[in-house]
Amino acid sequence: MTTVARMAVLDLRTVWPYRYYSLAVFGLGVLVFASRPMWMVPGLVLLFTSQIAPYPFNVADKAGLETLYAVLPLSRRSVLYGHYAWATACFVVTATAGTALALAFARVQAVPLGDRTLVPMLTLSWALFAVNIAIQFPLLVRFGYTRVSVLGTTLPLAAVVGTVYKLQLNMASIQNWLPLLGAAGVAAIVVSAAVATTVDRRRVRYGRSVSST
Amino acid sequence: MSSDLAFALRGVSAAAGNTFALRDVTFALPTGYVMGLIGANGAGKTTTIRCLLGMYPIDAGEIELLGHRAPEPVALRQDVGVVLDHTYLVGDWRLVEVERTLRPFYNRWDGARYRQLLDEFGLDPRAKVKDLSRGMAMKLMIAVALSHQARLLILDEPTSGLDPVSRDELIGIVGDFLLDEGHSVLFSTHITSDLDRIGDYLTILHGGRVVRTGTKDEILEAYRVVRGGPDDLDDRVGVELIGVRRTQTGAQALVRTEEADLLSGDVLVEPPTLEEIAVHIGARVPHRDPDHRADRRQPDSSMSARRVA
Repeated sequence: MTTVARMAVLDLRTVWPYRYYSLAVFGLGVLVFASRPMWMVPGLVLLFTSQIAPYPFNVADKAGLETLYAVLPLSRRSVLYGHYAWATACFVVTATAGTALALAFARVQAVPLGDRTLVPMLTLSWALFAVNIAIQFPLLVRFGYTRVSVLGTTLPLAAVVGTVYKLQLNMASIQNWLPLLGAAGVAAIVVSAAVATTVDRRRVRYGRSVSST
Repeated sequence: MSSDLAFALRGVSAAAGNTFALRDVTFALPTGYVMGLIGANGAGKTTTIRCLLGMYPIDAGEIELLGHRAPEPVALRQDVGVVLDHTYLVGDWRLVEVERTLRPFYNRWDGARYRQLLDEFGLDPRAKVKDLSRGMAMKLMIAVALSHQARLLILDEPTSGLDPVSRDELIGIVGDFLLDEGHSVLFSTHITSDLDRIGDYLTILHGGRVVRTGTKDEILEAYRVVRGGPDDLDDRVGVELIGVRRTQTGAQALVRTEEADLLSGDVLVEPPTLEEIAVHIGARVPHRDPDHRADRRQPDSSMSARRVA
């Protein structure tokens, strides 16, 4: 296992004690989108992933895990990339579970949900997730969860949802943009990771880790 | 690089805002020994340790850790166990989960040793980190450090806030760690009695500078404590009085041994304890000017001591 993968597993173990909270958020999302199977995956990704993916930052702030990261045989780059790998794993699990649930609800409700809907649905979900994380993570890396607080996780989410609403996006309108949306998501994550690496140097220098003598 | 040194700091300075947290800090520890890092709160002990661990950037100087010049390879952290004055684990982890979480990061993690240490320390593997007392939490951190077979143990005030029994146990654990000749310990504390038992070398920090570094015996020999009446210890004595403490009935200060003979017979001159050295040096107002005598002094880093078995 690479150090990035180990770091992603560490993020999983960090939030593991709070899994029931995570399941409650997921269950809430399922309830909200149960009547609209087509929007199940984008909805769950935005509602669930946007809360759970940054959660290791929250626990890290409270438990002083930045010190643990500095003590473990891990480079800072592995720590940062591990956070992104964890978030991406959250997306994959959410999208997989969400797709299964969407298909089940669509079948029960006799709503047509074929490949022509599923593929745009998943691509849009990926793009929404990626842009949201791309904005959130550098802020969390630079300032920590406590200082960014709820605004740091909800404002990017609101911006993403607002953009979708403003552009009047629907599954039909994004059919021609799928490759671009997929690539834009990847690009957003890559750029965000580079920005996070840059701002992390400032955090190490002036952040909490230097406050104690 | 000197492979026989556990670590060395050479001329290390580190800024904190507009001031220096550390200035020209130089000291070293040969492999196989214990160094006590002593100083008052704010003297720079934690910053020194953070610099050594690469957690705090330095502005000047050079750091060597286990034969590697900083920034040392990340893999070197396999060989360094770190015990701070607080836990840095998720409070809701159970002690079995601590092992599951940390094991993948260490090549030489010994799960049997971890469980054995928990048992020896009376720690319940099902207990949560947040439910441990301070002493138990320190033991947990030591169990973690020893389970990945570290060669260098860095302890930052692990005994502060512990009751005497827990402190004694912890010192015993460190003593056991040192039975392997390849093991070394840096032990930061302001409880000097901890070092009476296990300290081979001492470094005294004050105001972010090294006041003195050397073997424990050399440092004990370097100072004398002088006691006299309330008016006996003032500027007229002709030697530098370090950390003068006055009461209505008397005064006490530290002097350098080579200057003790210059004192009049009216004062009592005695060998100091580590506690007295730390108290008097800590009582000085930190001098930031480069001309201060203690600051001009080159840290004594002779390495002639042998560990006391």
